[in-house]
Amino acid sequence: MVEVELERFTRGDIQAFEALFRQYQGEVYGWIMRIVHDSGAAEDLTIETFWRIYRACARFDPSRSFGAWARRIATNLALEHLSRRRPEKPLDHDFPIRGPGTGTPDPAMAADVRAKVLAAFDELPAKLRVAVRLALIEERPYAEIADALGISTNGVKSRVFRAIRRLRKSLEKRGVRP
Amino acid sequence: MNEQDEALKQLLQRAAPAATDRELKHDLWPEMRQRLERPPVRIPWGDWALAAALLLCLLLFPQTIPAVLYLL
Repeated sequence: MVEVELERFTRGDIQAFEALFRQYQGEVYGWIMRIVHDSGAAEDLTIETFWRIYRACARFDPSRSFGAWARRIATNLALEHLSRRRPEKPLDHDFPIRGPGTGTPDPAMAADVRAKVLAAFDELPAKLRVAVRLALIEERPYAEIADALGISTNGVKSRVFRAIRRLRKSLEKRGVRP
Repeated sequence: MNEQDEALKQLLQRAAPAATDRELKHDLWPEMRQRLERPPVRIPWGDWALAAALLLCLLLFPQTIPAVLYLL
Protein backbone atom coordinates (compact mmCIF):
# COMPACT_ATOMS: atom_id res chain seq x y z
CA MET A 1 0.00 0.00 0.00
CA VAL A 2 1.39 3.39 -0.94
CA GLU A 3 2.28 5.91 1.72
CA VAL A 4 -0.40 8.33 0.50
CA GLU A 5 -3.10 5.81 1.31
CA LEU A 6 -1.57 5.08 4.69
CA GLU A 7 -1.66 8.79 5.38
CA ARG A 8 -5.33 8.89 4.43
CA PHE A 9 -5.87 6.08 6.91
CA THR A 10 -4.17 8.06 9.70
CA ARG A 11 -6.73 10.81 9.08
CA GLY A 12 -9.54 8.28 9.67
CA ASP A 13 -10.49 7.77 6.00
CA ILE A 14 -12.83 4.75 6.02
CA GLN A 15 -12.05 3.77 2.41
CA ALA A 16 -8.33 3.66 3.13
CA PHE A 17 -9.10 1.60 6.23
CA GLU A 18 -11.24 -0.80 4.20
CA ALA A 19 -8.42 -1.26 1.69
CA LEU A 20 -5.99 -2.00 4.53
CA PHE A 21 -8.47 -4.36 6.15
CA ARG A 22 -8.96 -6.33 2.95
CA GLN A 23 -5.24 -6.51 2.36
CA TYR A 24 -4.23 -7.61 5.86
CA GLN A 25 -7.21 -9.50 7.32
CA GLY A 26 -5.92 -12.91 6.13
CA GLU A 27 -2.43 -12.28 7.47
CA VAL A 28 -3.71 -11.10 10.86
CA TYR A 29 -6.16 -14.02 11.10
CA GLY A 30 -3.43 -16.54 10.23
CA TRP A 31 -1.12 -15.10 12.87
CA ILE A 32 -3.82 -15.20 15.55
CA MET A 33 -4.64 -18.80 14.55
CA ARG A 34 -1.04 -19.74 15.29
CA ILE A 35 -1.53 -18.50 18.85
CA VAL A 36 -5.10 -19.41 19.79
CA HIS A 37 -5.74 -22.49 17.58
CA ASP A 38 -9.46 -21.70 17.42
CA SER A 39 -10.97 -20.40 14.19
CA GLY A 40 -14.02 -18.76 15.85
CA ALA A 41 -11.91 -16.92 18.41
CA ALA A 42 -9.41 -15.97 15.70
CA GLU A 43 -12.17 -14.32 13.63
CA ASP A 44 -13.43 -12.36 16.63
CA LEU A 45 -9.91 -11.32 17.57
CA THR A 46 -9.17 -10.24 13.99
CA ILE A 47 -12.19 -7.90 14.08
CA GLU A 48 -11.13 -6.62 17.50
CA THR A 49 -7.58 -6.04 16.24
CA PHE A 50 -8.78 -3.92 13.33
CA TRP A 51 -11.24 -2.09 15.59
CA ARG A 52 -8.34 -1.05 17.81
CA ILE A 53 -6.27 -0.19 14.75
CA TYR A 54 -9.04 2.08 13.49
CA ARG A 55 -9.42 3.80 16.85
CA ALA A 56 -5.66 4.35 17.04
CA CYS A 57 -5.27 5.42 13.39
CA ALA A 58 -3.95 8.88 14.29
CA ARG A 59 -1.07 7.32 16.21
CA PHE A 60 0.17 5.27 13.24
CA ASP A 61 3.36 6.44 11.56
CA PRO A 62 2.87 5.89 7.78
CA SER A 63 6.61 5.45 7.25
CA ARG A 64 6.54 2.25 9.35
CA SER A 65 5.19 -1.20 8.51
CA PHE A 66 1.43 -1.48 8.88
CA GLY A 67 1.65 -5.30 8.93
CA ALA A 68 4.10 -5.31 11.86
CA TRP A 69 1.90 -2.85 13.79
CA ALA A 70 -1.20 -4.95 13.16
CA ARG A 71 0.63 -8.11 14.20
CA ARG A 72 1.70 -6.58 17.51
CA ILE A 73 -1.84 -5.47 18.34
CA ALA A 74 -3.15 -8.91 17.33
CA THR A 75 -0.57 -10.65 19.51
CA ASN A 76 -1.52 -8.57 22.55
CA LEU A 77 -5.18 -9.38 22.02
CA ALA A 78 -4.47 -13.09 21.55
CA LEU A 79 -2.44 -13.02 24.78
CA GLU A 80 -5.34 -11.37 26.63
CA HIS A 81 -7.65 -14.03 25.20
CA LEU A 82 -5.40 -16.85 26.42
CA SER A 83 -5.06 -15.25 29.86
CA ARG A 84 -8.84 -15.11 30.24
CA ARG A 85 -9.48 -18.61 28.93
CA ARG A 86 -8.62 -21.23 31.51
CA PRO A 87 -9.44 -24.93 31.16
CA GLU A 88 -12.95 -25.49 32.52
CA LYS A 89 -12.10 -28.87 33.93
CA PRO A 90 -8.94 -30.80 34.70
CA LEU A 91 -7.49 -32.18 31.49
CA ASP A 92 -7.89 -35.92 31.19
CA HIS A 93 -8.40 -38.56 28.55
CA ASP A 94 -11.56 -36.83 27.30
CA PHE A 95 -9.76 -33.58 26.57
CA PRO A 96 -10.51 -32.56 22.98
CA ILE A 97 -7.07 -33.04 21.50
CA ARG A 98 -7.79 -31.61 18.09
CA GLY A 99 -9.17 -28.12 17.88
CA PRO A 100 -10.60 -26.66 14.69
CA GLY A 101 -7.82 -25.70 12.31
CA THR A 102 -5.06 -27.55 14.13
CA GLY A 103 -2.94 -30.38 12.84
CA THR A 104 -3.60 -34.00 13.73
CA PRO A 105 -1.77 -35.19 16.83
CA ASP A 106 0.55 -38.13 16.46
CA PRO A 107 -1.68 -41.26 16.69
CA ALA A 108 1.30 -43.26 17.95
CA MET A 109 1.41 -41.12 21.08
CA ALA A 110 -0.43 -42.65 24.04
CA ALA A 111 -3.57 -40.69 24.92
CA ASP A 112 -2.59 -40.35 28.58
CA VAL A 113 0.87 -38.98 27.69
CA ARG A 114 -0.71 -36.51 25.28
CA ALA A 115 -3.21 -35.40 27.93
CA LYS A 116 -0.40 -34.91 30.45
CA VAL A 117 1.67 -32.88 27.98
CA LEU A 118 -1.33 -30.68 27.16
CA ALA A 119 -2.17 -30.27 30.84
CA ALA A 120 1.40 -29.19 31.61
CA PHE A 121 1.34 -26.81 28.65
CA ASP A 122 -1.99 -25.31 29.73
CA GLU A 123 -0.62 -24.66 33.21
CA LEU A 124 1.98 -22.25 31.85
CA PRO A 125 1.26 -18.52 32.15
CA ALA A 126 -0.13 -17.12 28.89
CA LYS A 127 3.07 -15.19 28.09
CA LEU A 128 5.18 -18.35 28.28
CA ARG A 129 2.56 -20.38 26.41
CA VAL A 130 2.61 -17.94 23.50
CA ALA A 131 6.42 -17.97 23.38
CA VAL A 132 6.50 -21.79 23.36
CA ARG A 133 3.71 -22.07 20.82
CA LEU A 134 5.33 -19.67 18.38
CA ALA A 135 8.95 -20.71 18.91
CA LEU A 136 8.76 -24.47 19.45
CA ILE A 137 5.46 -25.60 17.93
CA GLU A 138 5.01 -23.14 15.06
CA GLU A 139 8.80 -22.74 14.70
CA ARG A 140 8.68 -19.03 13.91
CA PRO A 141 11.97 -17.10 13.95
CA TYR A 142 12.83 -15.49 17.29
CA ALA A 143 13.13 -12.05 15.66
CA GLU A 144 9.59 -12.30 14.29
CA ILE A 145 8.21 -13.38 17.69
CA ALA A 146 10.13 -10.58 19.43
CA ASP A 147 8.68 -8.01 17.05
CA ALA A 148 5.15 -9.29 17.57
CA LEU A 149 5.48 -9.36 21.36
CA GLY A 150 7.27 -6.00 21.49
CA ILE A 151 10.25 -7.44 23.38
CA SER A 152 13.88 -8.22 22.52
CA THR A 153 15.03 -11.48 20.92
CA ASN A 154 16.79 -12.29 24.20
CA GLY A 155 13.49 -11.69 25.97
CA VAL A 156 11.85 -14.34 23.79
CA LYS A 157 14.71 -16.77 24.40
CA SER A 158 14.38 -16.18 28.14
CA ARG A 159 10.63 -16.89 28.05
CA VAL A 160 11.18 -20.09 26.05
CA PHE A 161 13.92 -21.17 28.46
CA ARG A 162 11.71 -20.55 31.51
CA ALA A 163 8.80 -22.33 29.86
CA ILE A 164 10.92 -25.38 29.05
CA ARG A 165 12.15 -25.55 32.65
CA ARG A 166 8.61 -25.34 34.02
CA LEU A 167 7.28 -27.82 31.48
CA ARG A 168 9.97 -30.34 32.34
CA LYS A 169 9.25 -30.05 36.08
CA SER A 170 5.52 -30.32 35.51
CA LEU A 171 5.90 -33.37 33.25
CA GLU A 172 8.24 -35.08 35.69
CA LYS A 173 5.61 -34.63 38.41
CA ARG A 174 3.15 -36.37 36.09
CA GLY A 175 5.57 -39.20 35.42
CA VAL A 176 6.48 -38.16 31.86
CA ARG A 177 10.17 -37.91 31.06
CA PRO A 178 10.83 -36.42 27.63
CA MET B 1 18.95 -26.21 22.19
CA ASN B 2 20.31 -29.35 23.87
CA GLU B 3 19.14 -32.91 23.29
CA GLN B 4 16.70 -32.88 26.23
CA ASP B 5 15.10 -29.63 25.06
CA GLU B 6 14.84 -31.03 21.55
CA ALA B 7 13.06 -34.12 22.94
CA LEU B 8 10.62 -31.90 24.82
CA LYS B 9 10.00 -29.88 21.67
CA GLN B 10 9.24 -33.09 19.73
CA LEU B 11 6.86 -34.18 22.48
CA LEU B 12 5.03 -30.85 22.34
CA GLN B 13 4.79 -30.94 18.56
CA ARG B 14 3.35 -34.45 18.66
CA ALA B 15 0.80 -33.59 21.37
CA ALA B 16 -0.23 -30.14 20.11
CA PRO B 17 0.64 -29.84 16.41
CA ALA B 18 1.02 -26.51 14.67
CA ALA B 19 -2.07 -24.83 13.24
CA THR B 20 -2.48 -26.15 9.71
CA ASP B 21 -5.63 -24.38 8.58
CA ARG B 22 -4.71 -20.73 8.81
CA GLU B 23 -6.64 -19.58 5.75
CA LEU B 24 -9.47 -17.16 6.35
CA LYS B 25 -12.65 -18.78 5.00
CA HIS B 26 -14.65 -15.64 4.31
CA ASP B 27 -14.32 -11.89 4.09
CA LEU B 28 -14.68 -10.34 7.53
CA TRP B 29 -15.37 -6.83 6.21
CA PRO B 30 -19.19 -7.03 6.69
CA GLU B 31 -18.66 -7.85 10.41
CA MET B 32 -16.04 -5.13 10.66
CA ARG B 33 -18.43 -2.64 9.08
CA GLN B 34 -21.13 -3.58 11.61
CA ARG B 35 -18.64 -3.09 14.42
CA LEU B 36 -17.68 0.34 13.10
CA GLU B 37 -21.32 1.39 12.84
CA ARG B 38 -22.21 0.24 16.34
CA PRO B 39 -22.78 3.32 18.53
CA PRO B 40 -20.12 3.77 21.20
CA VAL B 41 -21.01 2.61 24.70
CA ARG B 42 -22.14 5.59 26.77
CA ILE B 43 -21.71 5.55 30.53
CA PRO B 44 -24.77 7.07 32.27
CA TRP B 45 -24.07 10.25 34.25
CA GLY B 46 -25.24 8.50 37.41
CA ASP B 47 -22.36 6.02 37.12
CA TRP B 48 -19.88 8.88 36.73
CA ALA B 49 -21.34 10.55 39.83
CA LEU B 50 -21.08 7.29 41.79
CA ALA B 51 -17.46 6.79 40.72
CA ALA B 52 -16.63 10.40 41.68
CA ALA B 53 -18.29 9.96 45.08
CA LEU B 54 -16.36 6.75 45.69
CA LEU B 55 -13.09 8.41 44.71
CA LEU B 56 -13.82 11.32 47.02
CA CYS B 57 -14.57 8.93 49.88
CA LEU B 58 -11.30 7.10 49.28
CA LEU B 59 -9.39 10.39 49.28
CA LEU B 60 -11.05 11.60 52.48
CA PHE B 61 -10.91 8.23 54.27
CA PRO B 62 -7.88 6.34 52.90
CA GLN B 63 -8.17 3.79 55.72
CA THR B 64 -11.20 2.35 53.84
CA ILE B 65 -9.08 1.44 50.77
CA PRO B 66 -8.24 -2.13 51.98
CA ALA B 67 -11.93 -2.77 52.70
CA VAL B 68 -12.95 -1.52 49.23
CA LEU B 69 -10.23 -3.62 47.59
CA TYR B 70 -11.42 -6.66 49.56
CA LEU B 71 -14.99 -6.15 48.33
CA LEU B 72 -13.97 -5.78 44.67
